[in-house]
Amino acid sequence: MSERAAERTGSTIPEGWGRPLQAAVCEHCDWQYLVGADRARTRCPHCSQTALTSLEDEVGELPIVRPPEFVVPFEVSPDGLEQGVETFADGIPFPPADLNAETLKSRLEKVYLPTWLVDVEADALWEAEAGFDYQVVSHEERYDDRHGGWITREVEETRTRWEPRVGRLTRMYDNVPAPALEEDARLRERLGHWDDGTREPYQPSATAEASIALPDRTPEDAWSAAVLAVRQRAAGECQRAAAADHFREFLWTPTYGQRNWSLLLLPVYATAYRDDEGHAHALLVHGQTGRIDGPRRASLRRARRVSMIVGLVALVILALGLAMVAAGLMVPPLAAAGVAAVLVALVVGVAALAPMLLVWQFNRRQEAAG
Amino acid sequence: MEAQPFPPAGFVEAESSVDGILVYRPVPEDTGPGEAVVDFSCPRCGGTTAYSVGGGGLRCEYCGYYEAPERDVVGKGAREFEFKVETMERAAHGWGTERKDLTCEGCGAQISVPPESMTVSCPFCGSRKLIQRPGSQDALRPRFLVPFEMTDEACRRTIREWLGSSWMVPGDLERLAAAVDLTSMYLPTWTFDGAARARWRAQVGHTKTERYRSGGEWKTRTRTVWRWESGNVTRRFDDLPIPGTARLSPVLMERIKDFDLSGLVAYDPQFLAGSHAQAYDVPLEEAWEAARHRMREETRAACRDQASTSKIRNFSMELDFSDESWRYILVPAYVGAYRYGAEAYQVMVNGQTGEVAGQRPVDWTKVGLAIGAALAPGVLITLAGLVTVLLGIGGVVAGAGMVVLIVGIIIGFVIFQKARRLDDV
Repeated sequence: MSERAAERTGSTIPEGWGRPLQAAVCEHCDWQYLVGADRARTRCPHCSQTALTSLEDEVGELPIVRPPEFVVPFEVSPDGLEQGVETFADGIPFPPADLNAETLKSRLEKVYLPTWLVDVEADALWEAEAGFDYQVVSHEERYDDRHGGWITREVEETRTRWEPRVGRLTRMYDNVPAPALEEDARLRERLGHWDDGTREPYQPSATAEASIALPDRTPEDAWSAAVLAVRQRAAGECQRAAAADHFREFLWTPTYGQRNWSLLLLPVYATAYRDDEGHAHALLVHGQTGRIDGPRRASLRRARRVSMIVGLVALVILALGLAMVAAGLMVPPLAAAGVAAVLVALVVGVAALAPMLLVWQFNRRQEAAG
Repeated sequence: MEAQPFPPAGFVEAESSVDGILVYRPVPEDTGPGEAVVDFSCPRCGGTTAYSVGGGGLRCEYCGYYEAPERDVVGKGAREFEFKVETMERAAHGWGTERKDLTCEGCGAQISVPPESMTVSCPFCGSRKLIQRPGSQDALRPRFLVPFEMTDEACRRTIREWLGSSWMVPGDLERLAAAVDLTSMYLPTWTFDGAARARWRAQVGHTKTERYRSGGEWKTRTRTVWRWESGNVTRRFDDLPIPGTARLSPVLMERIKDFDLSGLVAYDPQFLAGSHAQAYDVPLEEAWEAARHRMREETRAACRDQASTSKIRNFSMELDFSDESWRYILVPAYVGAYRYGAEAYQVMVNGQTGEVAGQRPVDWTKVGLAIGAALAPGVLITLAGLVTVLLGIGGVVAGAGMVVLIVGIIIGFVIFQKARRLDDV
């Protein structure tokens, strides 16, 4: 399919999807989706801030609604998924009431993220420095008067010989990936890459019960990234052609033939929780590895409540202590107990600050990491 | 890239393991001079040509035809090779020209001569029992050589002067110069480069002088205080030569070893035309071991020199070699043997500098007379001194006689040692 055809616009969803879908958009983050008819009012899997707005008859507003060519299936096992979620929810001091493994698991939903694939023919002259490893024999020697002379140890070292190579390349590059989402790089950095070796031709059943995010980058936008991927692949092939162990300073002057664009869908799970201030936090789980990306927030409100309770206890002990000190004017032994109570009250009072400090420090660390 | 021709000059197509990708590599160096057999027949008369030292090219001894030289001087920039594992295990490529390998039944020397050579005597021992054997393939191909700078005539003049330069040799020795069976020969030599980085540690003794009181008197004594010292030494070695043959006397080889490697030229079979050449019989690994021995001993000496005094004990060091490389080169020498009486004597001349080393017969009668002459004054004066002592005149003459006798003994010993070294190999 040509680039121009790929930027298809229209008022209906193409039949190539093979099942009834509705177009929807998140008013908060502008992500666009195709969802099943029963999921039109679901929250945005990407930001979880608002419910998706169904576009009904406004599908033509969406830039790209073409069916995909390939789908990478979900591979993470249910056990692995559960374990990942439990690990995520575990270890948070004073977690928000909504942030627990059970809630997160109950909200898990399947989402597919799009990425472009391009087929292109490249014709180029290239040059590079090819490195060939070889072994050399060297020696380490020790001398000691007390041991009567030299001890020699032969060692083998690997060195690399660099030689220039030039050549001509005429190759077809199929399914070169290019980002279809503006956030593609960030998502891959946080979640890791997908192994698209397990991709399968698109079947409507593969995306059942799943939301499908639509591209927000056109093929023209994605071409510059695709060029880098083609170059990287070409460099690897030239290295293989030259039978080199290493390759550097690869330069080429390519001319490209007709480009065919298609879409590949990548699997993620989405879930979310609300903190005690009512802010929604979306989490994404890699559909192959189970790696989770999303903010882990401790609840300042819960910490504050615990601090206040402990603080009240401290105040009560302080009041009792002061009363005992006053009584001690008449019954001297009570004065000593009163002083001890005042000291205990001070310690408990200081300890009352600990939950809030703990939460503040945890959230700060999470923000720095994220 | 389009503006330039493709593939660029100096590149040849290489094997590619990927369809649709052509690979070009620089022309390999090894396809240069080498493996093809070179014909040294004179194109004019068909006679045998030989390398001309004077002209530096090929000259026909029969009709005078001369072919201009092609001398690619590379000097000390000549390529050096690393100690690759496969190099150490590799068998080689022969000489790049047709040659005949001979083995001496007398001393076991292996020599390589041109196929038309009519050599009938061994240049090392003078034996005429030479047997032909198949050309050895177990040798690395020499890539560089130092060409002859000295002609055969000049060499004979030098030998004549050298034979007559000592009074200890027989008087008729000089006239044998014309009879010396002289052979121009390229000798195999390894040269080694490397850097030695050493860390050393030792106890170094410092002498302290102390005054102390004993028996009511002040006295002085010295004692050694031992302190630990350590240091680092880095030494670079450039073109350390190690002979590639053990067939020749190491003593003679050592005396003519100073070749100027700035005169190195790329190996070309024409340089060997008319000359003998010996393949190495000291393999690379053995030569490298000898070179390393010299390198580490020199480095050890440099480490010891770093110590603050020369009193050293518990010395230890660790040494790492790096940037090791080697060259296999041929160096020119005239190797000759002559007979005096029943004995055979070797003589070698550096074919580049003219330095001579060799064995010479000793005329022990002359040497005995010389030693006797050195001892005679002392003996006579001492005897005279003994007479004066017996007569009660005094011991002054006897004392002087003893001194003169001791001087005479020393002179005699020196003469004897020098004479012994004349035929020492």
